[in-house]
Amino acid sequence: MSAGSAVGSADEQSPAGRPASAAAGAETATAGPLSAMGGPLISVRNVSKTFAGTRALSGVSFDVGAGEIVAVIGRNGSGKSTLVKVIAGVYRPDPGSQVQLGDEGAPGGGGGAPGGGPVGLHVLHQELGLVSRLSAVENLGLCEGRGGAGYLPLRRRRERSQAEEMIGFFGASFDVTVPVGRLSAAERTIVALARALGRWTSPRNVLVLDEPTAALAPEEVGKLFGAVRRAAAGGAGVIFISHRLREVIELADRSGVLRDGRVVEIVRNAESSLEHLVELILGGVTTSAATGPDHREGPSLLRVENLRGGRVREASFEVQAGEVLGVAGLLGSGREELNGLVFGAKRRTGGTVSVAGTPAGPGHPRLSARRGIGFVSADRARDGVFMTLSARENLTLPHLRPLVRAFGRIDRAAEGRDAREWFASVELRPPEPERRLQFFSGGNQQKVLIARWLRARASVLLLDEPTQGVDLGGRAAIYELLASAARAGTAVVVSSSDAGELAELCDRVLVMHDGAVRVVLEGEALNEGAIERHTLDPDRAAGARQATS
Amino acid sequence: MRRVLRALSFRKVSALYLLAVIFLTFSIWIPGRFLTWNNWKTIFENQATVGIAAVGLVIPLAAGSFDLAVGTEVGLGVVLLPWLLVNTGIPTVIAVLITLAAGAVVGLASGGLIVRMRIDSFIATLAMSSVLTAIVEWLSGDQQIIVTRTGFEAMARDQWLGITLPVYILLAVAVVVWYALEMTPAGRRIYATGGNLDAARLAGVSTATVVVVSLAACALIAGGAGVVESAALGGGDPTIGPDYLLPAVTAAVLGSTQFREGRFNVWGTIVAVYVLEAGVQGLELAGAPTWIPSLFDGVALAASVALARFEASTAATSGIRRVLKFDRDRGGAALADRPDDVTV
Repeated sequence: MSAGSAVGSADEQSPAGRPASAAAGAETATAGPLSAMGGPLISVRNVSKTFAGTRALSGVSFDVGAGEIVAVIGRNGSGKSTLVKVIAGVYRPDPGSQVQLGDEGAPGGGGGAPGGGPVGLHVLHQELGLVSRLSAVENLGLCEGRGGAGYLPLRRRRERSQAEEMIGFFGASFDVTVPVGRLSAAERTIVALARALGRWTSPRNVLVLDEPTAALAPEEVGKLFGAVRRAAAGGAGVIFISHRLREVIELADRSGVLRDGRVVEIVRNAESSLEHLVELILGGVTTSAATGPDHREGPSLLRVENLRGGRVREASFEVQAGEVLGVAGLLGSGREELNGLVFGAKRRTGGTVSVAGTPAGPGHPRLSARRGIGFVSADRARDGVFMTLSARENLTLPHLRPLVRAFGRIDRAAEGRDAREWFASVELRPPEPERRLQFFSGGNQQKVLIARWLRARASVLLLDEPTQGVDLGGRAAIYELLASAARAGTAVVVSSSDAGELAELCDRVLVMHDGAVRVVLEGEALNEGAIERHTLDPDRAAGARQATS
Repeated sequence: MRRVLRALSFRKVSALYLLAVIFLTFSIWIPGRFLTWNNWKTIFENQATVGIAAVGLVIPLAAGSFDLAVGTEVGLGVVLLPWLLVNTGIPTVIAVLITLAAGAVVGLASGGLIVRMRIDSFIATLAMSSVLTAIVEWLSGDQQIIVTRTGFEAMARDQWLGITLPVYILLAVAVVVWYALEMTPAGRRIYATGGNLDAARLAGVSTATVVVVSLAACALIAGGAGVVESAALGGGDPTIGPDYLLPAVTAAVLGSTQFREGRFNVWGTIVAVYVLEAGVQGLELAGAPTWIPSLFDGVALAASVALARFEASTAATSGIRRVLKFDRDRGGAALADRPDDVTV
């Protein structure tokens, strides 16, 4: 999940069509009538999915019955999102797999059994597919044709009371006439829930919620859970994808634990504990410290004090020259916004940042760049690269001064030499500086971005999800690039949702929770398992740490 | 050899092929009128001011902003300079400089609306265009201004090597803008801002400055086109400005499909100006009615945008084909490791 896909912002940007259509494909999927009462609403049997030789899912099976809430948990890359996409019909699973809505019985035959009827499926992504400028009433009306024939005037008062009724079913009450963009994230999710369930006349629905709480403030989670419980009480089966184990235990009846594409175990939450779930999720993850040579030296180069803004409530840390600092945390913990706040890509509400003792100003990209900070964002295509410009132009943009000759002319020959040298040192493939950037793979675009800041002599390099959308070979190359930058004395800060990546790359890792730095891991304590553990369960892990020290 | 062939490929210089077609057609159809030095001299001279305005427009377009006021900015120049010459005693040179400065101020105002007030460039410059129409009518009293001062029209009438000065002015403006866009850091920042505003900001480019300055430069140059036009007319005509908008936009957009693979650029724009004019002129000489130029411009604008889109999509597909071929050659499967992109 990218940092950019938090509910609010994604909702703002996307027009009605795109995210809604992804869900709409699933909405219309209905199965034949059920012959027996109380059978599963959805049964997933032996589902496998292979991508180009890699198994993302293998033999996954589980059922969800009416009124049941089942959580699917696992690390990043364990196959959760692939599973959601297979259920939604976005991916076609491997032959032999079966996803059945309603009873196992032959679809289309034997209708009219008691309690039977088609089962509706609705997948709620983080992008809710609401039109943020329209009110809840209008959003609910969008796909239902409640106004009767299309050419008749809408019945405003009736629509409004109907909307309030639909919202009220989920135990919520808020103004349904204001644009949904002004509602809170939980209220927006409830509007999307009401839209999903409201259109089914039958109570037989399966609801898939894909990390619905990632963008929610802690005090809002309860509101959403109330709504989900009411949906389940109304007879819906709920599949709940989440990283937040505390919430999983609170909400779900059972949890299916995915590891490397397999269901390791399906546990009853009433008989389980947080510690148990963490162990199941992690399995045999390495807990041995992977300590490479330490290149940290001298006083701290980057100093961040009391930084606030967005989801970050309070963050203070220092990074030395030659150090690679990692930032871990769940989506919504502030991890995904920290680097942007330091650089000034996101608006800061407080705190100071200084580089080598010099304040870097109030947080403005241009000033930060001038102070020697470089920032590589998570969403490369949106705010990283210039797709229509050449690799050379992408490389040199922030640091053209040494190439400028008389009359403001850029020395093309010198620029070309510079580009060839840098692209040779980062091993750009293909090594063609004049090729437009859109024709490079994701990993090579990322190399150009990193080279851009190294060339601009950035002494502090901030990266969000540096290997997102990068293939394996490119990943190794980028790790090597960052390590060699650190060896050369750069202070590197890597924010990532991949614990293995942080363990491999970093000298020290900050684990964020609820907008603050909760734990600092280094030396012996720094390993993949520890990062995951502290990310998933900061309270206990921190407590255990304090107890032992 | 290969490089020459690629440089001459239809994708890159389609307008030149179009010019050849137009040239051959009218040469065979009406050789007596089309194939004369005077005809070509007229084409070059008549379109010099349109060319100047179109070259100016390339700057904001490259920076990702539209300037719908470019026509009325020309109109302001056409009226303000004669008004100054008639109503004040200031020397001609100073009057010209004041006119150019007025253009720049108009551009700064449009840029300010876009950057400070966060109004879309389309709307901001449309509004500015209406305001300018009002100013032009007010200045001129909605009547032609006749300048009696001598020497003023020399800049449009004097000749060098048998061609009047406006053509050289166009060339000079083109060289300056080309140099700024292609050779300097400022130009690089303009293309970066137009390419991806957010990325430019995060790369440390002051995108607000880029937008404001590029609009100011456009308005200044458009004002200059107005100055040249008023010299050619020997006075001011309040109705003339708006007619510049469509040809300038058409030329800049069609020009973007030439030479630089979809980038707005100066030389493509100038080629486009003359290709379009050769077509219009040929049709007029062949006896086509007077409404033909508008029709031709409209059709050409739509066709050039469609061509630009086609250009972009074919460039993309052929580029992807190259990447795929490269990966195959390596024996690797870089793309296959990204399941989201491959599977449906």
